[in-house]
Amino acid sequence: MESKIGFVVNPIAGMGGRVGLKGTDGVLKEAVKLGATPTASIKAEDALRYYLSNYSNKDSIQWFTCAGMMGSEELKNVSIKERKIVYTPSGKDTTSEDTEQACKNLLKEHVDLILFCGGDGTARNVFEVVGKNVPILGVPSGVKMHSGVFGINTSAAAKMLHEFVNERLTIGDAEIMDLDEVLYRKGEWKIQLFGIAKGIVEPTYVQVGKTSYASVSDDEIKDEITEHIEDEMEKYSDFMFLFGSGGTIDYIAKKLGFDNTLLGIDAVCNKRVVGTDLNEEGLLQLLKTHKKTKIILSPIGAQGFILGRGNLQLSPPVIKKIGLDNIIVVSTPSKIASTPVIRVDTGDKKLDHMFVLKEFMMVVIGYRLSRVVRIQTNNF
Amino acid sequence: MKRNPTAFLKEEYEELVKNNFDWKLRILQSGSTPHSVVDGKEVIMLCSNNYLNLSNHPRLVKGAIDAAKKFGAGSGSVRAIAGTLELHMEVEKKLAKFKGTESSLIYQTGFAANAGLIPQLVGKGDIVISDEFNHGSIIDGVRLTKADRAVYKHCNMGELEKALKDADKKYNRILTITDGVFSMDGDIAPVDEIVKLAKEYGAMTYVDDAHGEGVIGPDGRGIGAHYGIEGEIDVEMGTFSKAFGVVGGLIAGSQDLVNFAFNKSRTWLLSGSHPPAVAGAQLAAIEVLETEPKHVNNLWDNTKYFKKELSSMGFDTGHSQTPITPVIVGESSVAKELSNSLYDEGVFALPIVFPMVARDKARIRTMMNAGLTREDLDFALEKFEKLGKKLDII
Repeated sequence: MESKIGFVVNPIAGMGGRVGLKGTDGVLKEAVKLGATPTASIKAEDALRYYLSNYSNKDSIQWFTCAGMMGSEELKNVSIKERKIVYTPSGKDTTSEDTEQACKNLLKEHVDLILFCGGDGTARNVFEVVGKNVPILGVPSGVKMHSGVFGINTSAAAKMLHEFVNERLTIGDAEIMDLDEVLYRKGEWKIQLFGIAKGIVEPTYVQVGKTSYASVSDDEIKDEITEHIEDEMEKYSDFMFLFGSGGTIDYIAKKLGFDNTLLGIDAVCNKRVVGTDLNEEGLLQLLKTHKKTKIILSPIGAQGFILGRGNLQLSPPVIKKIGLDNIIVVSTPSKIASTPVIRVDTGDKKLDHMFVLKEFMMVVIGYRLSRVVRIQTNNF
Repeated sequence: MKRNPTAFLKEEYEELVKNNFDWKLRILQSGSTPHSVVDGKEVIMLCSNNYLNLSNHPRLVKGAIDAAKKFGAGSGSVRAIAGTLELHMEVEKKLAKFKGTESSLIYQTGFAANAGLIPQLVGKGDIVISDEFNHGSIIDGVRLTKADRAVYKHCNMGELEKALKDADKKYNRILTITDGVFSMDGDIAPVDEIVKLAKEYGAMTYVDDAHGEGVIGPDGRGIGAHYGIEGEIDVEMGTFSKAFGVVGGLIAGSQDLVNFAFNKSRTWLLSGSHPPAVAGAQLAAIEVLETEPKHVNNLWDNTKYFKKELSSMGFDTGHSQTPITPVIVGESSVAKELSNSLYDEGVFALPIVFPMVARDKARIRTMMNAGLTREDLDFALEKFEKLGKKLDII
């Protein structure tokens, strides 16, 4: 069957990085002045070329894209002639509004997937329009790529496109992350979680016969993890449980009947929600009265951070109060497969070192089932 | 509610057929011999588990016939009630001696051993720590327990140690479990290290040596002998159905283990015991291994030759350390095509494809047989070379 693929390039993505800026949004002129040259088009063409030379003869794709350097030129340069232009940017220098308008028009065409080329800023622009309507896949070419929607490099993104078109990959949660601009203006560089998009992931398989396997949906896996957490909550009934941010934990909390905050930290005690969307102060306040607390975390974003990206409320004092042994990490196996290490970057070197000493964590991947996963504390 | 209670049988079967997941049974018109007749065609057999070609050994055949003549066709009962023949006891005694352990117990099959014993060794409040590539029968045995489960990366002792360390604080009993020889890649688990680590953390060790029994270690005595740690693995589990050329599962270990196992394993307690002919052949198989070292030697000579030749042709044979030699070809479709073409040319070897192995690691899995001659191997190698070139693999 023919797949309808939307293709958007953010031509200015990545330009800031080469000249030492933390992004390109709003500072394009400065970047150019510092000698930045466009890189996104090159990356996009790399991905397309890799795709064509390895897989094109097997796949049937109908391309929808934007005029000029927002997609059409790149497709033309790799000799993809059949392409429908759905959007034409008005000016020479494109902005985030162009990305957003392009995505609006792609949605109208009912594309099966949006393949974009850019960084976290672009991912966020795409997500703001697309939401969870259509899966998105990023060819990495920005300055920052913390979001979980990117292939690890251009060829990996090309391969994922091929696997998606052939229905070998399934839809899973992918976090959209970017710099917290408010903090950035104050001189702090913190990565915030903005939402959960539909990404494409390797399905989880279970053996059903001798050599036959059935793929298990992420929801089924999350149901199993929920049962596990339910058991833990029963076993440690005198504990307060904090539910971290992200899609997997949100699913678990909602399944257990708690009205959870997707992007925030909530607290449950005696099967009752005792705090929602807590900030650092709120957490510390609750921890004063609840000495025994466990926290459920899940890897966030492309690099698998459980702390330090997208959940800054969980500051070093909060984590120290809870204690490392009371951290429960949960993940779908597909996520662990794509980010085989979990990372922490608490901002407190001593605390990070305590994680380093642990070396590995047991990550819950099913009912009463865990997997040994290595911990890293390097910064990204 | 009006429903068709059996409609799913057809529906689910048809779904399997549609996805090409159904088993299309290949019928042998011969016995399982180095030259077998499969679906009417004579082929070189490269996918049986009859590593030592003992299934056709005259002493095993005689052992089966004599036992049947003397004791009849069936055993009459489960072992626990009235189905334990003196012959069964004799096999177990001989097997323990062969394995260098205090005692042993024969199960009806290898699957019955894993599915019956594992859930008795651990329960609620305990944990099983398992290699990610363990065999399906271990997985099912573990599924029957109420114990927690932790999985470590294939043969990664660093991860195993971390899991043990973590478990030490939280659980009562800890069971580490691994295949001895892994059937997809033919590699051998570092059981000496596993035993060492397990002792350090007070954990039990359980090794499924189905593909190592009769193959690795001096005289094919298995994984314990391979590492020189006979009697140190708490449960050495194996099978008579592969290199031993008969059928039946086995465990070898302490007398305490055997006493515990036969009193508690429901698969053992609730299945009929092996017919005399099976026990007679099992006994003969152990005797042959003890007195005729040529079979194990032939198997390894053949294995080394076959691997060397395949590698020199440019095939990727992975990191096998045993007579299981994967011929890694890449995409699943290529592996399937190679297997079909090999059959047409007179070589029987099955493809192993995703998700049994990684997407780009689809392969033909060959299993060597001690009864194949050098001419047979050269014939098979020539076909591999010819088709490998044709399919652009080498």
